[in-house]
Amino acid sequence: MPVPQALQTVEADWRGRQFRLPAEWSVMSCEELEDMFELYSLALLEGDEKSEVEAHLARGCETCQRHLRDALAVNALVMAGVPEMAPPARLRRRVLAGMGIERSGWGWLGAFAAALMLVVALWLSVQERRHANELAEARSEAIQARAERDRLYQAFQILNQPETKRVNFGEGVTQPPRGNIFVHPKLGVLLIASNLPALPAGRTYEMWVIPTKTSAPRPAGLFQANAQGSTINILPGPLDSLYAVAVSVEPEAGSAAPSTQPIIVAPVPGA
Amino acid sequence: MRNLFTAVLAFAILQATLRFKDDGDLARRLRSRDPHVMPKLYDRYGRAAYSLIYRVVRDAGVAEDLVQETFLRVWNRAQSFDAERGALGPWILTVARNRAIDHLRSVEGRMAAGALELDRVENPALFSNFEDRALTLDRARRLKEAFTKLTPAQKEVIELAYFEGLSQTEMAVRLKQPLGTVKTWVRTALKVLREQLSEAAIA
Repeated sequence: MPVPQALQTVEADWRGRQFRLPAEWSVMSCEELEDMFELYSLALLEGDEKSEVEAHLARGCETCQRHLRDALAVNALVMAGVPEMAPPARLRRRVLAGMGIERSGWGWLGAFAAALMLVVALWLSVQERRHANELAEARSEAIQARAERDRLYQAFQILNQPETKRVNFGEGVTQPPRGNIFVHPKLGVLLIASNLPALPAGRTYEMWVIPTKTSAPRPAGLFQANAQGSTINILPGPLDSLYAVAVSVEPEAGSAAPSTQPIIVAPVPGA
Repeated sequence: MRNLFTAVLAFAILQATLRFKDDGDLARRLRSRDPHVMPKLYDRYGRAAYSLIYRVVRDAGVAEDLVQETFLRVWNRAQSFDAERGALGPWILTVARNRAIDHLRSVEGRMAAGALELDRVENPALFSNFEDRALTLDRARRLKEAFTKLTPAQKEVIELAYFEGLSQTEMAVRLKQPLGTVKTWVRTALKVLREQLSEAAIA
């Protein structure tokens, strides 16, 4: 009877490690041994009983092999029938790390922490950018506000001086712009106007000063009106003479000389 | 002890089939030392190994150590496992049980023939030629039923053999009974379990 390959391996594994009763010496029958394979597989068989089982298995006896398989099945089922316990999650990492298969230590926890840090870093950079944007916005608002404040202060200065002359224009008409021009020989010209028509895109208002009756208009500042059509424009600095103040609509970049008919012309008397 | 074992059996949730359909694939990869197989192997048998070891040593910390030892041993000895017809689950459970018994014996100072014997019976070559029907859920249920038919003395000797690793001589000393009586209990108990699982009982 050929010895199955698996058992040859067993035999080879055992050879030289333990004294084995020669097969022909066995005195028990396969039937007598039937109840011993479970204990044998649990390493609990002693003395003659153990030698007998080993002798039969080494002989490649088919009945005994079947008994062994059945015993292993019984054992497996008994061992699998214990109350189920959940091992702690760290045990998996430990077992695999112990074999050098997964990096020891943090495993998925580390990955989670790394992902969390990435999210935090991303969030912080977004926040920082937002703060930077807000800061720039606030700064430009502050600059605008300061410019506005300075402009109003200049206007107040002009208005507050006794030498300031006031010229009224557009009186009595509803549609065209109306308002006042204040002239101070040292501080400059202040225009306060309302009823200005809305401008098409790419156009701006430009103020002109005309020093004498015969001189050409000189640029005196670009300005826009607010949503209500009102504005304040100042030409700071001393003036030698002033004949009139005018306002025309010009291209966005402004012009050196008026290119359209003025919408405001205000002669300054006594100049 | 008797009450304990009865309780164990009463609450035992027997594992589903101990031989998964693709265990052959796992075994082949194990043999070729494909490290990626170990997480899968642990996910499949880690809980059963831990439960069994804990059942024997009754200490979570020790059980963790022994589970690690179990899988390391499985990894190192897998080359001689029969990938085609071998039963991976029973083998791993045997290795696990043996680690636990070995620990118990060293703690109790009864080493006897001990470690070498255990080593021998977990040779993977022994776990060849398993038939699929050997380890079905149905058989696990049947075995559970069979336990209810055992007398308290029979249950106790089964308990002492599987979960305390006592030989029949040691049982006789522990239970203060003649060796012949102990042997009769063991033989009768195993016969009941085996017959419950036999083909005649299934038919």
